Amino acid sequence: MRNFFSQFRRHALLLGDYFAQYTKVRVSYRGDFFVALFTSLSGTVFQFFFYWFLLKRVDFPHWRKEELFFLWGFALIPFGVFNVLSLNLYEFGSIYIMEGKFDRVLLRPLSSLFQVLFESFRIESLHEVVTGLVILIWASRHLGYHWTLLDVALLAFFGLCGGVIYISVFLFLTTFSFWFEDRIGLHPPFWNLLAFGRYPLSIYSSYIRFLLSWIIPFGFATFYPSVRLLGRPEFRSYAALVPLVAAASFAVAAFSWRIGLRRYSSTGS
Amino acid sequence: MSSAPLISVKNLSKHFRTFKRREGILGGLVNLFHRDYQTLKAVENVNFEIAQGEMVGYIGPNGAGKSTTIKMLTGILVPTSGEIFSNGFVPFRQRADYVKTIGVVFGQRTQLWWDIAVIESFKLLRRIYDVSQRDFDARMELFDQVLALRDFLHTPVRKLSLGQRMRCDLAAALLHNPPILFLDEPTIGLDVVAKDHIRQFLKVINAQYKTTILLTTHDLDDIEELCRRIMIIDRGTLLFDGPLAGLKERLLRTKQIKFILRDGEQAPRLAAFEKSLAAYPANGALRLERLDELTCRIIFDRKLISSADLIRQILAAVEVRDFLIEDEPIEEIIKRIYAGEDPGGGIPVPAAQP
Repeated sequence: MRNFFSQFRRHALLLGDYFAQYTKVRVSYRGDFFVALFTSLSGTVFQFFFYWFLLKRVDFPHWRKEELFFLWGFALIPFGVFNVLSLNLYEFGSIYIMEGKFDRVLLRPLSSLFQVLFESFRIESLHEVVTGLVILIWASRHLGYHWTLLDVALLAFFGLCGGVIYISVFLFLTTFSFWFEDRIGLHPPFWNLLAFGRYPLSIYSSYIRFLLSWIIPFGFATFYPSVRLLGRPEFRSYAALVPLVAAASFAVAAFSWRIGLRRYSSTGS
Repeated sequence: MSSAPLISVKNLSKHFRTFKRREGILGGLVNLFHRDYQTLKAVENVNFEIAQGEMVGYIGPNGAGKSTTIKMLTGILVPTSGEIFSNGFVPFRQRADYVKTIGVVFGQRTQLWWDIAVIESFKLLRRIYDVSQRDFDARMELFDQVLALRDFLHTPVRKLSLGQRMRCDLAAALLHNPPILFLDEPTIGLDVVAKDHIRQFLKVINAQYKTTILLTTHDLDDIEELCRRIMIIDRGTLLFDGPLAGLKERLLRTKQIKFILRDGEQAPRLAAFEKSLAAYPANGALRLERLDELTCRIIFDRKLISSADLIRQILAAVEVRDFLIEDEPIEEIIKRIYAGEDPGGGIPVPAAQP
């Protein structure tokens, strides 16, 4: 147990070093960074306008527009966290497994999962977190929402848990690369599912609600925490499950990683 | 060996299950559902021990099992059967602790961060391996002396020449001063000067830190210059393990004498000499080749013909400006072993099956 904590501490300290290292890489291609930031920003802006027009035309029963913007703003926070960290997951199959970069990962005295997650960052996606916060604050002012210290702490905690849930789902999909050689990966259809989290789960059929809560738990990343923060009556108690769902998702993904790792070291491909 | 070996490998085997790929789109579809598996014995019942401070050359043709062995020794691959103890660890079982005590260089692949200055990679590796700033500075100093890194420490890795990059990769693998160093083709693609740099460096490291080095290579000059001991593997099986000198002594079949004629006027005398050679007692044990107008080479069986005799005859027949006597190149010997000649000697390969 003590060993576990010292390892955890070591990795936590190195996380800073890895981030700094990757930042240096990005800074060395400044033009590329600004283009990426611009692209990412305009993506968010388009999304915003789409949402705005949608809310102008469509009524969501029992939901005020500001509440919907609150939900949308909140959803951007875990989404941003996820985007910052998920860069390598998409390329894991092709770069790490097929091109052999994973051998080098195994030769370093660090957790292999740590290295794959933190060897590159989509730094520009941090703007999504900022944009999300701005919209959240704007919406909560219109709602007359008073932020207590507890609310702020909860917001940060939920945002982080949401990020963990997203990462876990995609990490789980990534682990299939240990078994199947494919360059595209299983991610794209699930990526599209992320959009569902920007709307109240209650508008969907019960099947989709079940799917997004208990199979691919994106609902716990965005909808249930937002409901709790907004103080709305429905699904109130679900928010308490958020950290559990996050921990369970990560456990499943990490377990699958472990098994994949074992397969890799017996087949080497 | 008096002390316990640093690396010990017993009955090591690695089998892969592969399947035949069918070609084309239709074949690809069939592949999804039906596969004909076959077992590939990449490494089969290999045994050896390496003592601390040894430099061992590990050679074999492509696909012989060298890389698979290295991958098992470094903890990347789990053996199908057999045992590995290396520096007190079972590599794949205690990976994270074990890899702290080894350095690994894959000649074809860099472990440095591609887009930023070399020094940044070293700094991060220092943190990853928990090397103190003092040790780091001292080692960088030494590495710089032998490898002359200073000139390009602040150059991004992608802008380095292959030779410079390899020097950096070596330094990176040794920053934490590991007792064991594994090198997979460390001189591949390098020019003569760069190769020499690398070899000198390995000698220094081996002498100064008693670093144990196992290297695979296709360049037998690496082996001749660095390793007293070689292991030869082919089709997964160890064919030879022993001193290079002994191997040469046993298997060296031919020598060659190269000589340069004094002038063009020697031509008729040379023709006469060539005729007389045909009548030489050990017929077929010798042949003369003309390399150019003035240069000739005689390749002869060293057991049947003494080089002194031969030289005397040459001198009696033609006027010669220069001589060169050489052993059969080690490549030729190795080629014959791959082709099935019994290398004999060495450390007998125990056939102990559990």
